[in-house]
Amino acid sequence: MKFFRSLAGYTIAGLLVMSVWDGLGAYGIFGGYLAAIIIIGPLWFMNHYVNLTGNEDANGFVDMGLAIGVAGLMRDTLMKGTDALVGSIPTISLVILGAVLGGIVAAAFEKSMAKEAERDANAPEPGMTEKELSRLVSEE
Amino acid sequence: MTLSLGIATMLGGFLFPFVIRMAWGKMVDSWGPIGGWIAAAFIVGTVWCINHGIATPMITQSGAAWVDQGLAAGVGVWVASVLVGGNVRKSLPTISASVCGGILAGVILSLFL
Repeated sequence: MKFFRSLAGYTIAGLLVMSVWDGLGAYGIFGGYLAAIIIIGPLWFMNHYVNLTGNEDANGFVDMGLAIGVAGLMRDTLMKGTDALVGSIPTISLVILGAVLGGIVAAAFEKSMAKEAERDANAPEPGMTEKELSRLVSEE
Repeated sequence: MTLSLGIATMLGGFLFPFVIRMAWGKMVDSWGPIGGWIAAAFIVGTVWCINHGIATPMITQSGAAWVDQGLAAGVGVWVASVLVGGNVRKSLPTISASVCGGILAGVILSLFL
């Protein structure tokens, strides 16, 4: 059941983005913003805030973007032939490589920020400056 | 694709999941569900402009099959969530549902577009 629940959410995401966005994208940058609001807004709400797709906090998070990306590739492969997909392999690989790097760097930065937040939360009194905090830590 | 365009394409893929991880969750924490709509408009919308919208976009399409920045979001956000402690094995059913959903959506779109 949960699989079909997720499947429905991801399918609708791929379906709407890869059709309506192209229509609005024809109006340039502002069409893109309008598309982001009227498509990604409600789809994010349904898939990730209401959590139709069934992501759990303890597990790796699967964004609906994955389904959207696959939908775009699949649509053009079916409509333009496999040559279209083969031609896109360089872009696909580079985008995935960049995304993996982005994920690694984001996770590293999140850990660094969490460490700072923890340090601030453990401060003996609120509103201490970084200098005072560092002095306290070095005295311990 | 030239080397310059290739580097730009890779950095375009870097940019989207990075900004999502840095800001989206915090916007929802700060402003509730409406924060997600603001994120949709100003993270997806603005990054879409540089990756796809402007005349010479950051993500160069090397072939005729459309490579969306959503692919970068799917991959990058998953990698980041795993690195901060997300379970890989338990997310596999969701990944398969997502890929199947994308394929199904592509099939349905090819029926009428």
